Amino acid sequence: MQGGSERATGEKMVLSFGPQHPATHGTLRIVLELDGESILKATPHAGYLHTGFEKLGEHLDYNQYIVVTDRMNYLSPLSNNFGYVLAVEQLLDIEVPKRCQYIRILMAELSRLADHLLWLGTAALDLGAFSVFLYSFREREKLYSIFEKTTGARLTTSYTRVGGVLRDLYQGYEEDVRQFITNFPKALKETHTLLTRNRIWMDRTKDVGPISGDDAINYGLTGPCLRATGVAHDLRKAEPYSSYEEMTFDVPVGTNGDAYDRYLVRMEEMIQSCGIVTQVLDNMPDGPVNTENNKITLPNKPDAYGHIEGLIHHFKVIMDGHGVEVPKGDHYCATESPNGELGFYIVSDGTGTGYRIRIRPPSFLNFQALPHMLEGGMVSDTVAVLGSLNVIAGELDR
Amino acid sequence: MGLDFGPSGEQDGNIITTTIDKVVNWGRKNSLWPMPFGTACCAIEMMATLASKFDLSRFGSEAIRFSPRQSDLLIVSGRISIKMMPVLKRIYDQMPDPKWVISMGACASCGGVFDTYTLIQGVDQFIPVDVYIPGCPPRPEDLIDAVLQVQEKISSGASPKGVEVIYE
Amino acid sequence: MNEEKEVEEHSKPLVLEKLEAAHADALLAQDESRGTVVVVVRKERVYAVLEYLKTDSELAYNYLVDVTAVDNSRMESELMRFDYARFMVVYQLYSYQGQCRVRVKVPVHENDLSIPSATGLWRGANWLERETYDMFGIHFEGHPDLRRILMPDDFEGHPLRKDYPLQGRGERERFNFDKQNA
Repeated sequence: MQGGSERATGEKMVLSFGPQHPATHGTLRIVLELDGESILKATPHAGYLHTGFEKLGEHLDYNQYIVVTDRMNYLSPLSNNFGYVLAVEQLLDIEVPKRCQYIRILMAELSRLADHLLWLGTAALDLGAFSVFLYSFREREKLYSIFEKTTGARLTTSYTRVGGVLRDLYQGYEEDVRQFITNFPKALKETHTLLTRNRIWMDRTKDVGPISGDDAINYGLTGPCLRATGVAHDLRKAEPYSSYEEMTFDVPVGTNGDAYDRYLVRMEEMIQSCGIVTQVLDNMPDGPVNTENNKITLPNKPDAYGHIEGLIHHFKVIMDGHGVEVPKGDHYCATESPNGELGFYIVSDGTGTGYRIRIRPPSFLNFQALPHMLEGGMVSDTVAVLGSLNVIAGELDR
Repeated sequence: MGLDFGPSGEQDGNIITTTIDKVVNWGRKNSLWPMPFGTACCAIEMMATLASKFDLSRFGSEAIRFSPRQSDLLIVSGRISIKMMPVLKRIYDQMPDPKWVISMGACASCGGVFDTYTLIQGVDQFIPVDVYIPGCPPRPEDLIDAVLQVQEKISSGASPKGVEVIYE
Repeated sequence: MNEEKEVEEHSKPLVLEKLEAAHADALLAQDESRGTVVVVVRKERVYAVLEYLKTDSELAYNYLVDVTAVDNSRMESELMRFDYARFMVVYQLYSYQGQCRVRVKVPVHENDLSIPSATGLWRGANWLERETYDMFGIHFEGHPDLRRILMPDDFEGHPLRKDYPLQGRGERERFNFDKQNA
């Protein structure tokens, strides 16, 4: 870190890092102004994966839009599905049955594990620890098979519906999930032994890309990146939604806000998520999974095929120009996604299609703070800091 | 590989006859160096394909290269926006001939569910594509299958989509 | 328990009380929707109101969650409410101290799209305002670097305006490979 400016030659070099670089995980781009190896100025660029999600929200009905939310943070689609339908449900002023809330928590926490695992694998891979990548994917594949059995898809799950979920959990889910979370802490320990006290890993991440708590709040950082600075803020605790108030868990915090702390916070969050999953499994209530409101959720199949009322309800929910009609008004709803505060600001004009859907992505604000963390550091830190932020391009650019 | 043993059918002399094309194609087929152009969801499945469970290296294309100048197989996986397309085109142009292109997933192949102002509705409007993979996203098995199809195409001696004649 | 809650709901939230005392002339409307206080603020006064909300020691809305806009041109009722202002710039604020949210809305007319920038208060406002500029064409006065962020620099139009078609105006078929430097 030290000595960069003392050895300054006065000659600036501009290095364009990305958009296609192995450590940018797709489409991020940073223009670095270098003096020797120290970074004078870093300018992040966004927009290489801009897809028009918000515009699409004005053309798709509320249930169709769930498909789009999958493709936003594709490391943990279930969390996005969850956050989005929660916003619509709050706008509709309905509460889903207890069992549905628990299923959603279960899925959100499992997808938090999946998200953090992929982050761990790629962040370690960027710094040269290839085996961690393979270890993470081994665990992720187990999660994929649980997701696939539940939702029918590995990655693009589209599991939630306004007023419920696609279908109840499958027979035997409990054994699968229990088996996974029993073995998972052991698997995580392997990574701990590989990284946590590893000389190289510590040298590459400790005191690299630090940010203070006040600066983090000023920049709007959320999630593990904020908690690594010592601010114990978790929306699951601060504004409990969907029965999170019934769960007991700790909010891990760091002290320095550097890349190493962000690593430790995420590692501990995975253990806490396992605890939440156990509580959900222990207390899973019985009962229906969908709201019993025929204007919002689909009737069951025998009803739709056997009775004219059921058929009409089915038709009204499914057909173009009908859909779930949301009362006029606007609402902002935030959930704690694996990356931080994922907010949906929905403006409804009273029809079945959103008037405006704004997504407040955690990655967008986390990526913005990158220059603050990089400037004054060394060029090789860029990879470590970028990896520790876990910027998801799909969510960043929407 | 299309190897024939010597005219007499004897193997003692270790003589095999073949054509130079076949030998070259055999080599190319089994040492594909993919350049992953991963942008979105499909890139995650591509990573899964390369990782522990599916392990693409079983099929002779494990040497992932992030430099286009060292690669001969471009895997376009994910949505390509109008801001990204020039980058993709440039990477394709930088790859040495002969080169093959896999368009992975619905978004790269035709825009997928995103018929919006910013998304390229199929990269084949701008770069030639040899193999398309349907799916949103395709499963890792699909990507493996696509790589095998590229290998088959190479061993059959067919030119890549983007090149008229591979070699004189 | 229930009675207590009702009393709470009927009493005015602290933020509204304080805003009325300090910035009564800046408020165009106020509302409480689903637990969040919503205030509509005159454009000229928005910086002062935001600053007040951030720095007041009792309120301390020190976290700018989001800045965005809504194009109300297809929603007649909203248009009429605020003198046919086409755009509504929306700020979401959060207070770590009080753990509560407030939404500040600012009507902006189409013939004068400028609005004071909040970058002096929050560094996080920088990209959020750039995105709002990119998508709606709202001009944030005093912003240090007001460029497009998601669309290419040479892009014309503002995609999230209601008169911009979903499939675009043909940009995705024709663009200049040489002009856009990778």
